[in-house]
Amino acid sequence: MAALVATSLMAAPLPAQVAMSTRDSARHLLDRLGYGQAPGNVESIARTGVLQWVEAQLNEPGVDRALAARETRFEVLSVPTRDMVAMHAGQVRRAAADTAAGRRAPARTMADASNGRSLRSLNAELAAVTLVRAVEAEAQLHEVLADFWLNHFNVFVNKGFDRAYFRDYLERTIRPNVMGTFSALLSATAHSPAMLFYLDNAKSVAQRTGDERDRTPRVGMVGRRRGVDPARPPAASRAPSGLNENYARELLELHTVGVDGGYTQQDVVDVARILTGWSVGRGNQGPGFVFNARQHDRGAKQVLGVTFPAGGGEEEGARLLSMLAMHPATMRHVSGKLCARLVSDETAPGCIDAAVAAWRASGGSIAEVVRAIVHAPDFWAPENHHAKFKSPLEFVVSAVRAIGARPDGTPRLAQQLALLGQPLFQQTVPTGYPESEEAWTNSGALLARMNFAIALAAGSIPGVTTDLDRIVPATADQAALIDGINRDILGGALGPRTRETIARDIAGITDPVAARARAVGLALGGPEFQRQ
Amino acid sequence: MISRRAFMKAGSLALVSLGADPLFVDRAAYALRHAGGRARGRTLVCLFQRGAVDGLSMVVPVADPAYWTNRRRIAIARPELLALDGQFALHPRLAPLRALWDRKQLAIVHAVGSPSLTRSHFDAQDFMETGAPDQRSTTDGWANRYCQNPTQHADTPFRSVAFGAQLPRTLAGSAPALAIKDLRTFGLREAREDGDRPLTTAFESLYGGNATGLVASSAAEGFEAIRMLRVANPANIGTANGAEYPRGELGSSMRQVAQLIRADLGVEIAFVDVGGWDTHVNQGAAQGQLATRLNDLGAAIGAFVTDLGDRMADVALITMSEFGRTVRENGTGGTDHGHGTAMFVIGGDVRGGAVHGNWPGLGADALHEGRDLAVTTDFRTLFSEVLQGHLGAVDLKGVFPGFTGSPTLGVYPSS
Repeated sequence: MAALVATSLMAAPLPAQVAMSTRDSARHLLDRLGYGQAPGNVESIARTGVLQWVEAQLNEPGVDRALAARETRFEVLSVPTRDMVAMHAGQVRRAAADTAAGRRAPARTMADASNGRSLRSLNAELAAVTLVRAVEAEAQLHEVLADFWLNHFNVFVNKGFDRAYFRDYLERTIRPNVMGTFSALLSATAHSPAMLFYLDNAKSVAQRTGDERDRTPRVGMVGRRRGVDPARPPAASRAPSGLNENYARELLELHTVGVDGGYTQQDVVDVARILTGWSVGRGNQGPGFVFNARQHDRGAKQVLGVTFPAGGGEEEGARLLSMLAMHPATMRHVSGKLCARLVSDETAPGCIDAAVAAWRASGGSIAEVVRAIVHAPDFWAPENHHAKFKSPLEFVVSAVRAIGARPDGTPRLAQQLALLGQPLFQQTVPTGYPESEEAWTNSGALLARMNFAIALAAGSIPGVTTDLDRIVPATADQAALIDGINRDILGGALGPRTRETIARDIAGITDPVAARARAVGLALGGPEFQRQ
Repeated sequence: MISRRAFMKAGSLALVSLGADPLFVDRAAYALRHAGGRARGRTLVCLFQRGAVDGLSMVVPVADPAYWTNRRRIAIARPELLALDGQFALHPRLAPLRALWDRKQLAIVHAVGSPSLTRSHFDAQDFMETGAPDQRSTTDGWANRYCQNPTQHADTPFRSVAFGAQLPRTLAGSAPALAIKDLRTFGLREAREDGDRPLTTAFESLYGGNATGLVASSAAEGFEAIRMLRVANPANIGTANGAEYPRGELGSSMRQVAQLIRADLGVEIAFVDVGGWDTHVNQGAAQGQLATRLNDLGAAIGAFVTDLGDRMADVALITMSEFGRTVRENGTGGTDHGHGTAMFVIGGDVRGGAVHGNWPGLGADALHEGRDLAVTTDFRTLFSEVLQGHLGAVDLKGVFPGFTGSPTLGVYPSS
């Protein structure tokens, strides 16, 4: 069935060919299915064909030799999980010992005694390699979707043991599943130590029953415990003491059916009961998923009208996740988020309908859903072309790509991104980073982008190697310079007024290299480049 | 105060004449000081103690026996406490606040907090910042909603200002709001060789020509703020009255708030973050971790009030924190996440020298969920009363949506 749908969709011509030139189509695809154009991309896509490029991006990426060679230099990608967990446990123990001994703010809290590395520096490497991939990967759609799903299933890297679990969350839970089925991705996140710990399911256990329960303050159940609590939990709940609804609620509200998905508070409670005993192994069990049958609530439950009979165990959780992954409200909610990322902040009902239809027909294949979105007329509508305001991540990565610069692999570029308001993996709340223009627009943030652009063009952003000679030659012919910048860096997006303003600004600069840096900086910091 | 639109016109004049015409600078500075209906605007300074401060250590209920029995290790010894009214006493490291109490410039609200039952820092901070506890769909902040009515507010990009790299949720929304890390470095980093071709001019022209909507207005506000700062130059305003700010981020932020206020840029709401209150372990008593943080807090507030002098008649400062901490100390000499806490309101027009709100007591039956100081005053009651009593707010329905409790604390004299 899935193959049939794919074939029929592939047979349909892309609406792009009607509305836009091949080069414009290529740029639009690079803007939405990738992090913008890098030198030579547009020509290459124009040569091989727009449709062929889309199909290639929708396949699981092949080996990207250049990228693979760079990845081998990142220690964080090869450190054993056990070592990372031991590092965190060691840090906790040392901090406690220091505290007990009355030492304040121990300087070595974050340092690992074993080999000089710390989890903080390893996780900073993870942010660095993420930016290298975003800038340099041939499989651009894979990187965009990895960011989308990581954000959809957000985990805060600095909550307790998540410092140790996060690397696996990115590398083993999210990245292998970004183009597979939504069901597999959902199941992977539900079983991941990172998510189990972040949203407290790891300590959610069956409620005591009968009179005992009525008299006991239900610490685990009070209020919403959304988000993270990097501090130690309250003394009364340090040992598992009852049901924790945190993950159950976010599973429904954020990950699957959405806030308007029609669930009730009782549904939340029953989802939490179904997932009691889903936890993270300790000690000899190893730091993976475990099901603690003794902590599982074996009573009957009902979620969104579906009955889970008494006596169920681990398998009823799997059944719940499958049901949620193919629930109509999930299809609509998650398709809507994909359309917002790939098409427009404004709801595009036609795009969402097409995505939902593909979801249903393909059993939730993410590649099929994305293919349907790309083939939807909304994707190519002129009003959606060059219209979406870039997030700080999109701005930084697209600027680096546009001028053919290379991240040096140190954490410094990620630090720049943090200064622009989007520290990687550090969104504390489970909603993830916002997608909309309003959320990212404020005076200080815009000024920061202008500063970044000027510094990047001048070659003075730490952590990036810039070589403008590869893109636009320094020339005394300033009109040719601005034309070259517009064509080869901005993809023709500069308006006439912007070109005039830049021309006026650099008119008095006699040094061609200085004039070029200034012109590129103004172009990247100007309003056109803030959109994709 | 000069209006934003008027200044924008004057500002474009300044682009060609700044430097050539020093008179303009004088005129603009004069206009900043004297234009507008009211000679000087009023300012509310919000100081957010992130991490949940232990209100029972800031304002100690000395007359409550449960305070002493529950906190054998971290209770502050009686001789050290700064007595207020027989029922309550201040932490010894808050001595500057005790002086304000004596001058009736400090009002205290105890057992104040959020109706939300969450014990998550991030949730609770979010709720206090949106002013909409347990209403997750609210994305903008209460202070921004307060500033959204264009006819009631000064036309300036400095209407609300936060000190820090990012805009806190409290100020986020459609009304102008600025995040300033440091007044001295705010703006575009002009290289010296760009002296005759300011980046600000170039980017302003770019955004003036091609940006639309929120991007255009946000950029315009940013450029305008840069220009106003250049003219008013608040970073060069020295401290007055011998005020000495403590070293560190809080002291630096408070000094800059005072500079902005004295530069008459029309700041209505200023926002400052101060962390380090999440004292689960070795909290200490009269000395220790918490005492160090309180020392910094008291010194910064004390310096701020001294610095502003008579100007405090137009200024209110309110402290807030997402929740309080457990009544009973835990096994590691600290306290865990609780419920009610204490907040300070400082200013020239406050009904000071009093602890406001109902004290529920620390008896076992009075505690929230058997462990925490109960909340008898919704934080929105206090915030509403400050907005009305100090800033003269008229209608707060949109500021705290769904909140029906009427202000009854009496922190400000009823007009």
